[in-house]
Amino acid sequence: MTANDVAISIKKVDFYYGAYHALRDINFDIHAKKVTAMIGPSGCGKSTLLRMLNRMYDLYPNQQAKGEVLFDGVNILDKDIDLNILRSRVGMVFQKTTPFSMSIYENIAFGIKLYERPSSARIQEKIEKVLRQVALWDEVKDRLHRSALGLSGGQQQRLCIARALAVEPEVLLLDEPTSALDPVSTAKIEELLDILKENHTIVLVTHNLQQAARCADKVAFFYSGELVEMNDAAILFTKPSQAKTHDYITGRFG
Amino acid sequence: MAHLHNKLQGRSPHLMRWRFIKNHCMTVFAFFTILIMLCILISILATLIINGLSGLSLFTLTHMTAPQGLPGGLLNPILGSLIQVGLATLIAIPLGIMGGIFLAECSNKKLSAVIRFIADMMMSVPSILIGLFVYILLVMTFGYSAFAGSCSLAVLALPVIARTTEEALNMVPSAIHEAGFALGAPKWKVILWVCLPAARGGVITGILLAISRIAGETAPLLFTSLGNSDWSWNIFKPMASLPLTIYQYADSADDTWIQLAWTAALVITIFVLCLNLIARIYVDRRRKKDQ
Amino acid sequence: MSLKQSAYQSEKKIIPYLFSSLMWCGGALILLIFLGLIFELCWQGRQAFSAFGFHFITSTTWNPGNQEFSAGTALIGTLVSSFIGVILALPLSFGCAYCLNELLPQRIARYITAATQLLAAIPSIILGMWGFFILVPLMAHYVQPFLKHLFGPVPYLDLLFSGGTFGVGILTAGLILAIMITPFITAIMQEAFANTPTMLKESAYSLGATKWEVMHQVILPWVQKGVVGGVVLGWGRALGETMAVTFVIGNAHHVSWSLFMPTNTIASLIALEFSESAAGSLKMSSLMALGAVLMVISFFVLFCSQLLLKQVLKSR
Repeated sequence: MTANDVAISIKKVDFYYGAYHALRDINFDIHAKKVTAMIGPSGCGKSTLLRMLNRMYDLYPNQQAKGEVLFDGVNILDKDIDLNILRSRVGMVFQKTTPFSMSIYENIAFGIKLYERPSSARIQEKIEKVLRQVALWDEVKDRLHRSALGLSGGQQQRLCIARALAVEPEVLLLDEPTSALDPVSTAKIEELLDILKENHTIVLVTHNLQQAARCADKVAFFYSGELVEMNDAAILFTKPSQAKTHDYITGRFG
Repeated sequence: MAHLHNKLQGRSPHLMRWRFIKNHCMTVFAFFTILIMLCILISILATLIINGLSGLSLFTLTHMTAPQGLPGGLLNPILGSLIQVGLATLIAIPLGIMGGIFLAECSNKKLSAVIRFIADMMMSVPSILIGLFVYILLVMTFGYSAFAGSCSLAVLALPVIARTTEEALNMVPSAIHEAGFALGAPKWKVILWVCLPAARGGVITGILLAISRIAGETAPLLFTSLGNSDWSWNIFKPMASLPLTIYQYADSADDTWIQLAWTAALVITIFVLCLNLIARIYVDRRRKKDQ
Repeated sequence: MSLKQSAYQSEKKIIPYLFSSLMWCGGALILLIFLGLIFELCWQGRQAFSAFGFHFITSTTWNPGNQEFSAGTALIGTLVSSFIGVILALPLSFGCAYCLNELLPQRIARYITAATQLLAAIPSIILGMWGFFILVPLMAHYVQPFLKHLFGPVPYLDLLFSGGTFGVGILTAGLILAIMITPFITAIMQEAFANTPTMLKESAYSLGATKWEVMHQVILPWVQKGVVGGVVLGWGRALGETMAVTFVIGNAHHVSWSLFMPTNTIASLIALEFSESAAGSLKMSSLMALGAVLMVISFFVLFCSQLLLKQVLKSR
């Protein structure tokens, strides 16, 4: 494995909510153009780690992270990191669908316009491109200028992914993206991940072990703030090396 | 940091700078507005303290108002305010709580929605109109009286108490509500002996806020209790009150009267702000307990 | 025991009956006071309405000597002063709410929020007195001469800033009203902003948006109605404010283009002229009619604001 394969390298990371020590001494690498799934029971710190990768925790003054997260050779936990640029390179999709109360067109144009002043033809072109990428174009091409709130849950989530893609990030963070969706929409989004990993590094937090097994190349298992085990999905789900992992994937707890 | 920028080639650095500047301008503007409001608050409190404190003596608090030129105090306005506000509270509490119970428990949802809407509007109806209303109802037949003044203040307090009572009742967990019914208790017993005590914190907060609102009201008293430079315990006669005394004295050309007006203003502000603070601290404490 | 009602139970029915009728009284009382308020003011003002007809609203004369009264001057004063108040309060309260909800850390914001709410609790007569003794001299010596200097050479705009710089007048009244309603509007905006789903804000931040872009393009469109409702509610409060305005409006029965000129609002006119009006006189009836006019305007404005705010609460 060469250094080029590693997109994000997490070294000795601790995370605190006020006095509460939420993540302890986390070390692992996230590989470029692979899907890395983070699994574990609620409150184990997997979402916390995800939110660290684009410094989302910065919005809340009592949360702080210590250690090193190397992305493109830069420690992104540094104070003087330009958050806007970091977030333009590390996109995120949330567990609830979050369309802004604007039209479908404006939802996607919002992100594009943050980084360039494109002509309307170019916006149109980009919007079509990302909507096709998430397989939403045929469903919404006739109502681009209607409110995004009128879409179904699955469509909204795909719109949110398209919105994140429009900024052209290298890494895409997905925080339980299908937990609010029905099985059909979930399947569509899982298919989408397979295509997206050709060009993007994907980090997926999920509660759904089958989903992790289906989509992920690498799986990391977290338990109460610690990384218990990290391995290829095939190995982790068949021959876990830790007893805790075994208990979790066989459904003894969590 | 520079490194992160390198990958953004093709994206406009001008745009990034412009966004950054715009964001900063708005931040500066927002902090500036906060500064303005704080300055105004401090200016008001400082003015009150500087001008009012020198007049705040035992003499002022223990002597009646006097005609122009003679040394006078603020005893009768203070007593008058206490009596009228107290009476208004006594009238408004039972009526307001009854209204609140109605809003929370009435089975006719449409009617209670209409009345809730009206109560919300009443909270913002100009107080001077409430004064005129009570003038028409009571003063035109029975003459000016402290009782009429209390009634007008009670009308102002009523919707506040009713709405806060309703909100507090709605906050009572439905499990408690149902547990009462499960014991076979009739509705009135459940509401009076189970729900209302459980909601008591919210109701008390509402009452405190209502009192702090009516204590400084001037306009309705102008047409109802009229003001009185003498003292009488008779609540069916005109009665002095702090707001009316301020209104009368502040407009005069007499320096000692203006001084007294400042002192009266200080007294009433301290009273109102203390009530407000107590209510807020009370709310905070309960919120902490709930967590 | 039978599940059917026994004689014993029906005897006990008097208390529930009493309770529910008391409860209904409480509700009905609110309704009755409100309807009575509108009806009584119109009824007492009937003498003025029938004497002057529609001219009561459109005319601007107020001449007790000739028994001529009208609402025009005070109506314009009310609308203009409250309009100035809202225009000034809008950026102020938006800035405060933005700062308190999105910019300051919660620990500090809590105390400043409490301070702005204290400002809301200060009785209006205190604000009026402060305005009269502090703000009016400031206006007369600094603000008004400065505005005059600034806009004097501008055609048309100079009309608004002409006349003597006495400090009192409609601009000062508007300023006091702005100070009064800013804490109200701020509180409503804060509540509305806080109702925006966290994840919605975070998803905008995750695209790399700045705080202002999140506020302007995500939060504001989301809470639009609440913000408008809050502003309209503030306007409704400004319309009927009496004491704060009475001290600084200057009390004059004439309409002028200049914002420096003393004039009247409906509320201040009622407060000032009431003591000089005999019960049953045409003047008293005119004051009641003025009250009815104010009631109608306030009713309309408050109605709109409650409708807007209700929709926000529903969407929660």
